[in-house]
Amino acid sequence: MTTSAPSAIRAVGLKKTYTGRDGEVEAVRGVDLDVAQGEVFGFLGPNGAGKSTTVRMLTTLMTITSGTALVAGVDVAADPNEARRKIGVALQEAGLDPRQTGRELLTLQARLFGHKTKSAGARAAELLELVELTEAADRRVKGYSGGVKRRLDLASALVHQPEVLFLDEPTTGLDPASRLTVWEEVRRINGMGTTVFLTTQYLEEADQLCNRLAIIDHGGIIREGTPVALKAELRERTGMAAEPTLDDVFLDATGGTRVRSAGDVKEIQS
Amino acid sequence: MNELAALSQRALRETIRTPEALFPALFIPLFFLVVNVGQAARIFPTDETPFLNGQSYAAFQLPSSLLLAASFGAAALYLVEEIEGGYFDKLRAAPISRMSLVLGRLYAEFVKSIVLTAFMVVVALPFGIHIESGFLGFLVLVVMISLWSAVFNGFIQLIALATRSAAATQSGSMVFFPLLFLTPNFVPRELLTRPMEIAATFNPVTYIMEAARTLILDGFDAASLAKGFVVIAASGALMLVLSLRMVNNYD
Repeated sequence: MTTSAPSAIRAVGLKKTYTGRDGEVEAVRGVDLDVAQGEVFGFLGPNGAGKSTTVRMLTTLMTITSGTALVAGVDVAADPNEARRKIGVALQEAGLDPRQTGRELLTLQARLFGHKTKSAGARAAELLELVELTEAADRRVKGYSGGVKRRLDLASALVHQPEVLFLDEPTTGLDPASRLTVWEEVRRINGMGTTVFLTTQYLEEADQLCNRLAIIDHGGIIREGTPVALKAELRERTGMAAEPTLDDVFLDATGGTRVRSAGDVKEIQS
Repeated sequence: MNELAALSQRALRETIRTPEALFPALFIPLFFLVVNVGQAARIFPTDETPFLNGQSYAAFQLPSSLLLAASFGAAALYLVEEIEGGYFDKLRAAPISRMSLVLGRLYAEFVKSIVLTAFMVVVALPFGIHIESGFLGFLVLVVMISLWSAVFNGFIQLIALATRSAAATQSGSMVFFPLLFLTPNFVPRELLTRPMEIAATFNPVTYIMEAARTLILDGFDAASLAKGFVVIAASGALMLVLSLRMVNNYD
């Protein structure tokens, strides 16, 4: 994947400032992003680094204090509804209505994206088959397992065949098998040409899925590149004997260190 | 309109799937009706009480109970649940008018109130109550109370949007309850003590209660009905403006 393709996401000087109890808080401090069409772009960072805030601004769910963001060529602040037509969103919590069935939820989502009742039902059936939820389709969501909920959430984000799919920590809290299923889904979705913007705390996930990634800390981007290039840069700079992992890149970037004791890995923030 | 219809249908399904939420809306107002009539009916005998127009005191009390039932909505609490669970963000990420996000659940409250109000009136009929304005008056009564239900629950929904907390929403909704009681709910306004009369005069709910009472006791009174519907329209417009502002600036 090269960055010479047209941008699916372009953000310039993106800032978000809140007024909290202790005064003004800068959650995101001038983020610049350029994600090419068809990429799987990873957005990594420690808790509270500004990942979710950035995603919420890019997906029209949060106002932008300053800066600009274009998603699929649409200015998200100037024309939020047009941007919403082009993006799919699956946020940190699998945001689902527990009292509806999987089929009802997808049908509703399709209707909200402009399908008439009949075609919405057909689209829901198509998506249920795609994420292999046909058997559970007519049970209420509140009875679904975490993995099934996550797949349904993904399906609901795809109802309108978005150009850009935002996944905010899609595998947090999932067991390893469910995590692998989500990875397969992400690859399949990307294979169909959808750009994927993925935030995650799992570096292995980023290594497996992402063509390029950025690391954000304290509201600003501190590293950006392909996983291979980032590892090579670290090895060259520090003269590491062994091939560094993405964990090493992350810890180096965020100022963390780690010590090994009795086989456990312990992370210590410097 | 497709999106509003879709969200309204979902909210109606939700209402049907949680019948337990209807229990307080039905039981508490009927309980108050029975208790209030039981306590005060002998003070206001039908033959000697001009403002009853020949009906029982239950007929005078019925609008209070209908308005109380109309205030027991579930829209705000479901909304908080949706905000906490993340589904509200999913809806906000859809290319739909923000108005439909506000109105979807309120439409379900309107429909629910139609059923509840009609049921309560029908239950009251065997107890010596009749609707003086006839079947048409009954329909106007049901629509008026149900519109108010949507507006009232819209204000509670506004608290839910502002606080995003179930506890705060429940506490906040208590602010509105005095409105139901600072009204001429036991006797007509002119028989209230002066401070209560002033409070009732400034309370918009008074005019809905009086319009409803007119339909039950007196027949069609254009002036009274107009005041009731103007209060509902003005409150509804205020609620919509505030709700839209809240949803548009929701971060």
